[in-house]
Amino acid sequence: MKPETSLADLAIRYGFLLLMAGLIVVFAIARPAFVSPQSAVFILQSVAITGILALGVTATLVVDGFDLSIGAVATSAMMLSAYVMVVWEMGAVAAVVLCLALGAAVGLINGLLIVKMRVPDLLATLGMMFLLVGLQRIPTEGNSISTGMVLSDGRNATGTFAPEFLMLGRYRIDFILPDLVPLSVVFLLAIAVLVWVFLEKTRHGRVMYAIGSNAQASALAGINVAGYRVLAYVISGVMASIGGILLSARLGRGDVASGNNLLLDSVAAALIGFAVLGAAKPNAFGTAVGALFVGILLQGLTMLNAPYYTQDFIKGAVLVVALVFTFALSGRTGRARG
Amino acid sequence: MISRRIFTALIGSVALLPSLGLAQETAPAPLDNPGEVKIALVRYLSTGDFFQAYLSGVEKQAAALGVDLQVFDSRQDAALQADMVDQAIALGVDGIIIQHGLTESMKEAAQRAVDAGIKVVAFDVNVENDMIPQVEQSDRDLARLALEQALADNGTEFVAGYVYVAGIAPLDRRDETWKTVKADNPGINEVAMFGTLDNPIANSVANQARAVLSANPNITVMFAPYDEFAKGVKIAVDEAGMSGQVSIYSADISTADIALMREPGSSWKATAATNPAVVGEVSVRTLAMLLAGEDPGHNVIVPPTLITQAMLNDLDIKTMEELGVKLPAFAHADVAMTPWMKLPQR
Repeated sequence: MKPETSLADLAIRYGFLLLMAGLIVVFAIARPAFVSPQSAVFILQSVAITGILALGVTATLVVDGFDLSIGAVATSAMMLSAYVMVVWEMGAVAAVVLCLALGAAVGLINGLLIVKMRVPDLLATLGMMFLLVGLQRIPTEGNSISTGMVLSDGRNATGTFAPEFLMLGRYRIDFILPDLVPLSVVFLLAIAVLVWVFLEKTRHGRVMYAIGSNAQASALAGINVAGYRVLAYVISGVMASIGGILLSARLGRGDVASGNNLLLDSVAAALIGFAVLGAAKPNAFGTAVGALFVGILLQGLTMLNAPYYTQDFIKGAVLVVALVFTFALSGRTGRARG
Repeated sequence: MISRRIFTALIGSVALLPSLGLAQETAPAPLDNPGEVKIALVRYLSTGDFFQAYLSGVEKQAAALGVDLQVFDSRQDAALQADMVDQAIALGVDGIIIQHGLTESMKEAAQRAVDAGIKVVAFDVNVENDMIPQVEQSDRDLARLALEQALADNGTEFVAGYVYVAGIAPLDRRDETWKTVKADNPGINEVAMFGTLDNPIANSVANQARAVLSANPNITVMFAPYDEFAKGVKIAVDEAGMSGQVSIYSADISTADIALMREPGSSWKATAATNPAVVGEVSVRTLAMLLAGEDPGHNVIVPPTLITQAMLNDLDIKTMEELGVKLPAFAHADVAMTPWMKLPQR
């Protein structure tokens, strides 16, 4: 089929990016402070954690799966890192390694539950979510973790967050202006590029898309479908644990939290990503743009003193519009490609 | 949830009973035989330092009295909380403490408990019932103390940012005080109001505060009357490199908060707080008075204490425990007291 550049096609391909540019212009006129290097960095920083989680979810969406446990993995990793440093008094490296291991292990268990035990993906990861929300509270009997907290045996915890660990969330790199770009933003950009290259440019990524569109045909073509699906959940788990590490480094303590907001925001970003450039499928570039879009909206609205419920409302409206873009307008082209 | 800690405390208090009996008036019935007295704590909010400390106060005072405590935790599910009151009634408890919740969902459940002959105390939720004493930390006083400090530090003219989420009873009461103070001091210019309860709260508020600070770089005072809000604002102020310029005034306190307030050059200048553990103890004592047939009064108010950065530094206070030891006003509130009341050991 020869591609025709009709107006509708243009709208589907670039509509979302245009909408984003329009928003930036509107916010810039209303609040000149919105268009400064600092402001751009704020926005990236505010979406760094959800963006990284969203890239993990994207990997599971690509193989036609879904991971509901990412928010809980992130907050569990946050609690674990705090526990390792404050209670066990170990260093930053141990904290990071253990968190990544936790993420990988949870991803592996999710994957095996889904592939080997044949539990539907939503149910398996939902179960894992509840399990983790409870598990993260058991060692501290439901308390948040910070230096000086009272342990269950009556001692006070004396460990502190390692400065190298805090740097992950707080250190800033000189770029254009001194002390401008926080490390978390660098992580977001690096991970976005990595996931994009992996999914779009490597054989593994293309195989995963093939599994997502027709698992049976892929299996008949000799692809290790089970292995790739497990891999997708491991990627998702590791991404979520990276998000948790950054969260912990930013807050400087282990906060008891369900992570449901992180889950919802990152899923929203990944779904908005379907509409970017008319992809009509999960994709890393779209997810990154989706996360950025939500960040720009929230930042701009906060600057305009819009209360939080209007922000939720607008986030929801954007998601609905994005889904309409994806499923109604570009449905034909999406199917033609698939 | 009866933890091992309560159990050991119970055993301990039984062992101590003879010696204490000599020193103190014997408690009136039914508390003269406290092992037979069952009380329930029905919670709406439980996540966060404040609610953990509140629970520990309830546990300690219950253990000191020797009564059997059972904790129900509805985790912000209003309907479930009402069901849990019915569960407690069915279990045949002698007294119930309702901790937070919504008036609409708790009013009838509380009435059912009263009808069943159970003594009920409500903390920080108005159940609109004359039979039920209301334990309150005085949120208006809390906000007033923090704001008086803000006025003392910054004069009566400043540009302010304000963190607020409507519909949460303590925050609404603190908001009333903020409105009064603003009306009395026209020099206060509130340029931004923001806030969210998306968890982790500190992280979400930090993101908002960053936007607010870049839109309004002239802000010098942030009034964040809840410590999770203050934490978020402090993260944003630090990230924006404005800690020399902005002063944060808040309410509530925890060990982690003390560390943040004492960081060198910290922008978190003062907080007003009632010790949540003391509020927990007062809740149990109020219930004990009701059980013994005494009248604690309809409003049992636990007075707050002002805690400034300077106080913490001068007295070298690092934890909540040290705060209690070095600031006696914080460790014990002289409300809901009777001669026979047994207090937790300090």
